[in-house]
Amino acid sequence: MTETQGLIAGGLLLIALLAYTFWPEKVSASQLEKTRLDYLLERKEQLYENLRDLNFEFRAGKYPEEEFEAQRAQLENETARLMAEIELLQQA
Amino acid sequence: MAAFGSFALLVALALAAYNLLAGAVALRLLATGQPARISPERLADTARRAGIAGFAAITAAAFALVWSVFANDFSITYIMEHSNRALPGWYKFSALWSGQEGSLVLWAWLLGAYGFVLRLTHKTDVKLYAYAGVILAGVQVFFLLVLNFAAPPFALLRGQIPADGNGLNPLLQYPEMVIHPPLLYLGYVGFSVPFAFALGALMMRYPGEKWIKITRAWTMVTWLFLTAGVFLGMHWAYAVLGWGGYWGWDPVENASLMPWLTGTAFLHSVMMQEKKGLMKSWNVWLIFSTFLLTMLGTMLTRGGLVSSVHAFAESPIGYWFMVFMVLVLAVCIFTYILQRDHLQSEQRLESLVSRESSSLFANLVLLAACFVIVWGTLYPILSEYIEGAKVTVDAVWYNRVAVPIGLFLLFLMGVGPLLPWRGTSFKSIRRNFVLPVTALWVTVIACLLAGVRPWHNGALDQGHFYALVAFGLSAGVLTAICSEFLRGALVIARQSGRNYFWSIFQLIRRNTRRYGGYFVHIGVVIVVIGLAGSAFNRSEEKELVLHDKLTIGSYSLECMGFTQDSNANYTSDYALLDVRKGGKMLFQMAPEKRVYMASGQPQTMVAIHSVVAWDLYVVYEGTNPDTDQPIIKAFLNPLVSWIWAGVMMMVLGTLVALMPSQRAGNRE
Repeated sequence: MTETQGLIAGGLLLIALLAYTFWPEKVSASQLEKTRLDYLLERKEQLYENLRDLNFEFRAGKYPEEEFEAQRAQLENETARLMAEIELLQQA
Repeated sequence: MAAFGSFALLVALALAAYNLLAGAVALRLLATGQPARISPERLADTARRAGIAGFAAITAAAFALVWSVFANDFSITYIMEHSNRALPGWYKFSALWSGQEGSLVLWAWLLGAYGFVLRLTHKTDVKLYAYAGVILAGVQVFFLLVLNFAAPPFALLRGQIPADGNGLNPLLQYPEMVIHPPLLYLGYVGFSVPFAFALGALMMRYPGEKWIKITRAWTMVTWLFLTAGVFLGMHWAYAVLGWGGYWGWDPVENASLMPWLTGTAFLHSVMMQEKKGLMKSWNVWLIFSTFLLTMLGTMLTRGGLVSSVHAFAESPIGYWFMVFMVLVLAVCIFTYILQRDHLQSEQRLESLVSRESSSLFANLVLLAACFVIVWGTLYPILSEYIEGAKVTVDAVWYNRVAVPIGLFLLFLMGVGPLLPWRGTSFKSIRRNFVLPVTALWVTVIACLLAGVRPWHNGALDQGHFYALVAFGLSAGVLTAICSEFLRGALVIARQSGRNYFWSIFQLIRRNTRRYGGYFVHIGVVIVVIGLAGSAFNRSEEKELVLHDKLTIGSYSLECMGFTQDSNANYTSDYALLDVRKGGKMLFQMAPEKRVYMASGQPQTMVAIHSVVAWDLYVVYEGTNPDTDQPIIKAFLNPLVSWIWAGVMMMVLGTLVALMPSQRAGNRE
């Protein structure tokens, strides 16, 4: 490929890439803000996951019963507080 | 093609710059809500498309370079210096990353490819992806500036164009070298993606930890590539350099290990953030450091700051990298200071004896290992700068510091799975640790009975001592991990009434991340056993004439002759050695010494016979100039194949961890 042919090919590449970049689109992807409610719902999923893990580890014999009960109560309290806030936000 | 390639690189730079600037303006407009003549969403979309178009432009440039190698276009300086007509086709691909300019093209192309995938999947979280895309564009602008102005790959040769090129470095003319550098680069470059997501999430004060879930697969894939790249490099060094070892603490080897260590720490500590909202600042700085270490590694290898079998000649691009790293660090510090209130942990560590704290300890130890390696690697540069004399740090120093750190990490790897989340009592610890500790002591006693001698003539034999500790700890860790599988499977078997194999399969399916991670840990243990084998390496060297014998271990090597061969690329001398054991002929080995025609450089091709217990490793070292007799060196390296088997297990484990777990709704 000679230098001139190379530059012509480069020019064609440039035109194609500019056309792709600036081609008018009717709809642009929206940039919605994530809300506090979205965040709390994600956190709820994680807390459920933590509870399931705790149950499974107890049944696998990693915790004595009293430790398991204490930790489950702690996690359930946290989940309850979260659920209350979710309810409040959903009502509003 | 040179004109086309240069033009394509300029177009790629312009598009990356537009992606960076237009994307940043659009995100600023969206954040402040300022009115503008153009819709910020539309502007952000053109920026994203410029990123995709930029990938096409870099692909065109990379294609032009590969085409020029295959067309033997020696008017291009890079092609003349790194290829020749007789070079086999697959090594012509290697020419793309065998020199500084070409390897920077590969860097930019891989970054473009990662960015391409990221920008195509932007609907997962449009705003977060827009931030990450702009940050990646910033990194890309830097690489394209270097390629266009400091290390142009299409620079033309001045004066007469030679009929043939200088050829590819003989060290790189080995099959693994066709895949090792791209894999390593996929790992290096890939860490730009989690870095971009972490910095972007911090800039936009991303609520919650979902960005970690989004980037998890990116981080694991990147880690997988880097792991495979590092170990392939070890295997290449073992098979090509001919010194009988696989890791020499070379600065370039170290450069690949540094981001691997911090990346491994990040993979573990993000779990704390995801599960409990802990260690947010720590994680952000871990991924910032990992990215900066990949840059440092690239600077060390590409900037010619250190001498190594892998590094390139001194070049001005080291200063470009230094300025870029300072700039990145400044942006990271500025963003962190501005947004640090967003990184407050939601909870505290509840107990020092818990899964969380063992993970934190492991993080600290990984960072300590990384610091030791950074210090040892940079010490020659710092000593030359401060004292005026280059003081190099040898393998003995690294081994003295890194081996105990590695063994402590192994210990933590065994302790971690046995500790439950949040905290536990002494009673639980005692119950969970009985089996692993028993396995550890049984193994130590078995090793002592088998002849491992940590004390020799009243003095500590460090190699044997560390090997004994490694074998003992490995047994303990393996038992701990296996008991995790068995205890979990027992619960499922009780629930379902099915057999253990089915239960173990279900267990893995239900939590691929955790049990895939355990497979990776098993792989690490197997690697450690392989590494510990090096304490028992043996070697013999002898001048061999026809029918002379060399004995090593239970093998006897008889010289059956020497022969020569040549092709268009190289000439080679072989030694033909019959290997016998107890008088019985087993196989023939043919270690080789090549001289490449284009460069006139010699190259050793080692003959290796590998079995589970050891490798018989034979090197033809050439002839003794005084006696004119050929010299053969043989090594008996125990357990080396365990290293490569362990790596395969690590790869398998990562692939399992990458698979989605069975949905929570279907569980229990």
